[in-house]
Amino acid sequence: MTEQEIAAKEKQPVEGQEKTRAGRFFLPQVDIYEFGDSIKLWADMAGVKESDVNITLKDGVLTITGTVSTNVYEKLSPLYTEYNVGNYFRQFELNEDIDDQRIAALMKNGVLELTLPKGERAQPRQIEVKAG
Amino acid sequence: MALLRFSPEFDPVSNLLTLQAELERYLRNPAIRLGVSGPGDFPPVNIFDDGDGIVVIAEIPGMDPASLNITGQSHTLTIKGERKREKVGESAGYHRRERPFGEFSRSVQLPDELDLDRTTANYEAGMLTIRVPKAESAKPRQITVKAA
Repeated sequence: MTEQEIAAKEKQPVEGQEKTRAGRFFLPQVDIYEFGDSIKLWADMAGVKESDVNITLKDGVLTITGTVSTNVYEKLSPLYTEYNVGNYFRQFELNEDIDDQRIAALMKNGVLELTLPKGERAQPRQIEVKAG
Repeated sequence: MALLRFSPEFDPVSNLLTLQAELERYLRNPAIRLGVSGPGDFPPVNIFDDGDGIVVIAEIPGMDPASLNITGQSHTLTIKGERKREKVGESAGYHRRERPFGEFSRSVQLPDELDLDRTTANYEAGMLTIRVPKAESAKPRQITVKAA
């Protein structure tokens, strides 16, 4: 039986469009799967709770933002680091018509699971995020 | 030693910038001989001093905390586990597969004065935080001076 070992990959900073908020933003790594009736997206956003996720769908563009808190680092002195920490941001232009009335978002253990049912395009809206 | 202090008067953006600058400063710090099994291994770890011992933080989203295997032996702290993909079934086609999955194992060599027996670990929002306190015998002792 082959043992699959995973390797670390450095966080990718967001390039291109500059933000008004300072600080490095990182692109969350995603898996996107397509089914007959929906598209599912999973995004790794460690350190982000469901209340700190923002998802909008407007004009066919899906925007995902996740903010992290610095509280856990309070009164800690760094000795040795291998990764940096920052807010997450990623955008996708959807090629499918998505029924935004039925988009479901779930955040659990730092992973965002987004279900995008295929359907008629509608008005821009904010999507509620549930805790997993 | 740079102590991270986040002032409530500062907005979250300044605090985050401070944190990012400090984490960058200690990136792969060659001065630390903690015997961390090579960078590039998963998961990447950040190691801090909290005044009372060592704190190891790793980002491993999507794990069932019960499946995380954290062991302390002699001076070595080891984090082991397996990140499993969500089941999607045969009918799915994928457009992106960026998230890492598989088995992982990382070790950190800790200095003498730490007490592995009293190690605590916490997993929240995909962040694993392990605290290894200083051994009682290693804590500074106040010695009273008697007047002759």
